[in-house]
Amino acid sequence: MTKKTRRNIYRTARLTAFYIFVSGVTIAMLLPLYFIVSLSFLSTREAYRYPLPLLPALNVEYKLTHGERGYLLSVYDPIDKEYQTVLDTGDLEKMSVYMKSQLGAPMSVPEIEQQIARLEHEAPVFFTRRKSLLYNYETFFKVAGTGQAVPALIRSLEICAMTIAISLTIGGMAGYAFARYTFRGRDALKFSVLFVRMFPGVAIAMPMVIILVNMGFYDAPIGLSLVYSVGSIALTIWITASIFMGIPVSLEEAAQVFGATKIQAFLRVTLPLSLPGLAACAMYAFLGAWNETVAAIILTQFNPTFSVVVYQTVLGAVGQVNLAAAGGMVMALPAVIFTFFIRRYIHQMWGGVTV
Amino acid sequence: MATLQLKNLTKRFGKKVVAVKGINLEVHDGEYLVLLGPSGCGKTTTLRMIAGLEEVTDGEIILDGVDITDLPPRKRDISMVFQSYAVWPHMTVYDNIAFALRLKKMNRSEIDRTVREVAGMTKIAEFLDRYPFQLSGGQRQRVAVARAIAVKPKLFLMDEPLSNLDAKLRVATRTELKAIHHKTHATTVFVTHDQSEAMSIADRIVIMKDGEIMQIGTPEEVYDQSASIFVADFIGTPPTNFLDVELVREGETLYLVNPHIKLPLSAENAARLRGYDKRELVLGIRPENILLTSADEADLSAACLVAEPQGSHQVVAVELDDKLLKIVAPARPKVRSGETVHLTFKQESLRFFDRESGARI
Repeated sequence: MTKKTRRNIYRTARLTAFYIFVSGVTIAMLLPLYFIVSLSFLSTREAYRYPLPLLPALNVEYKLTHGERGYLLSVYDPIDKEYQTVLDTGDLEKMSVYMKSQLGAPMSVPEIEQQIARLEHEAPVFFTRRKSLLYNYETFFKVAGTGQAVPALIRSLEICAMTIAISLTIGGMAGYAFARYTFRGRDALKFSVLFVRMFPGVAIAMPMVIILVNMGFYDAPIGLSLVYSVGSIALTIWITASIFMGIPVSLEEAAQVFGATKIQAFLRVTLPLSLPGLAACAMYAFLGAWNETVAAIILTQFNPTFSVVVYQTVLGAVGQVNLAAAGGMVMALPAVIFTFFIRRYIHQMWGGVTV
Repeated sequence: MATLQLKNLTKRFGKKVVAVKGINLEVHDGEYLVLLGPSGCGKTTTLRMIAGLEEVTDGEIILDGVDITDLPPRKRDISMVFQSYAVWPHMTVYDNIAFALRLKKMNRSEIDRTVREVAGMTKIAEFLDRYPFQLSGGQRQRVAVARAIAVKPKLFLMDEPLSNLDAKLRVATRTELKAIHHKTHATTVFVTHDQSEAMSIADRIVIMKDGEIMQIGTPEEVYDQSASIFVADFIGTPPTNFLDVELVREGETLYLVNPHIKLPLSAENAARLRGYDKRELVLGIRPENILLTSADEADLSAACLVAEPQGSHQVVAVELDDKLLKIVAPARPKVRSGETVHLTFKQESLRFFDRESGARI
């Protein structure tokens, strides 16, 4: 074997191993995502059968015959490739509800009666109904948190906006001070802002509740956004301080020499240049506030956030895995949209200023 | 067009560090004044105080009779070219130049005319729509200059504007800066640590050391009539040669004596040293004022250590004790290392310095 072929073999092997590793990682990350997406479109019957279908069915094929107690309802199972009996009842109302909640392909009582009329000529009767794919989502918003889902969604967005505003103004200003001024104890202070992230929320839950009650902010969006801001201010300080340090002071000085006040110099030069960093901070603050559940459970009572509602769906009486998946999807979507939106700004870097 | 006066200008950082020690200086109308000195001598701090970017500890800055010591930079009617250029990376070249004009609330057509005029003057007219990261270092430097010219200030400040350029571009750009100055006749204060840059563009040079002014003068004055050992050493490449010598009188003639040399002084030089009461002094002589000569006319003969050909001339180094004596000699005849060279000193170019204070006698 020549040296060259050996080197080729080695290179091919290395490349293969690399791709196996990369695809493994990709699959490990994408599979759970795939399952939650597909799960959120499954009917309850599909979601609780084993093995789980990889894709939601688009139609439900019904079979109806006479049964012991009245009528025997069967549905076609595409995996087992046979009709399986799901219900034996004379109560058409019950059958209609079952079709809607368990199978996701609803029929009204008169529609069922129409099919039963066909039974006089032929038995069994076959008919197909389009499955309502968004049924889980509709149900989630109707049922979850006893109808609180939509207000909770709005409340969560409100909290996120306030958290971003608070942590960017306070954290950004502090970051600027850390970057531009030397003062006694600067490094110690900068390090100490991270201390607030040391304590698990649960550990300091009681004092937080008491303080928020005293402030009159318990069970209110502003209270939660204050709590979330504590953590994200610390991160914002660290990110913005390094951003501002990367922007040469001389750029601001030049602006001052050429006619700008100190504030104008900041607004016209430093602020636009630090936009990518500020966008990253906004993203952090948003995701932190949007996803947080533990503190929200403790600090709200009648006005839960959206994450709390999703949590209750997983845990509570509603407790259906496909509903929870739909809730999870609704929960994830704004975060994904926001991240993609802010991504543009994070990538918007200017020559000479590296972030 | 303006005159600038610095009166007893002082800058202290904290309690201990005194960066500028009460300097007095007057910059004439239309003058190109260069602040020159090694790093840490306070020249940049002085410039930043004039710009208003550094608070003044003590003293006054007077521009055209107006005390501007405590005014913010924007009210001083100055402009500045920064060492790092400080062109704003998020603005096009056009916007960089127009920034100050827009803040002055100039009308659109006037801004446009001014921008195009200065862009033409600095040869960046074709780059007006580009961003700084699309430009080379030299082009960015021009943008910084254009931006500074556009505001038509009373006073131009330049903080080592050429130090980030490569050697060849630096020489070309300093010629252009001087040419632009001939067009604008703006009073300029230019800071540099490069003595050849200072010599080539300055009307007058201010040499600073440790926060104090060592000498103010035209390039010729600071070169020929250096006020101290420091100045004579700092200005010129290769720098002035210094020899520790003793003053000895034998009969009517004064001699400068050290182990290698016994140099009789001309009547004029003797007259200059008449009032000097110490025996020991330092002799300073520029490399081009030591001539190669024949053995019988030599003041000093020594072996050549190295000879560096420079094309137009050669630099011959001779070792005396541990000190190098450098001679700028004509390119031919070529001197070889190891060869004995015979040297004579031009009497009219001898400079004498006090050994303790370093001041010129």
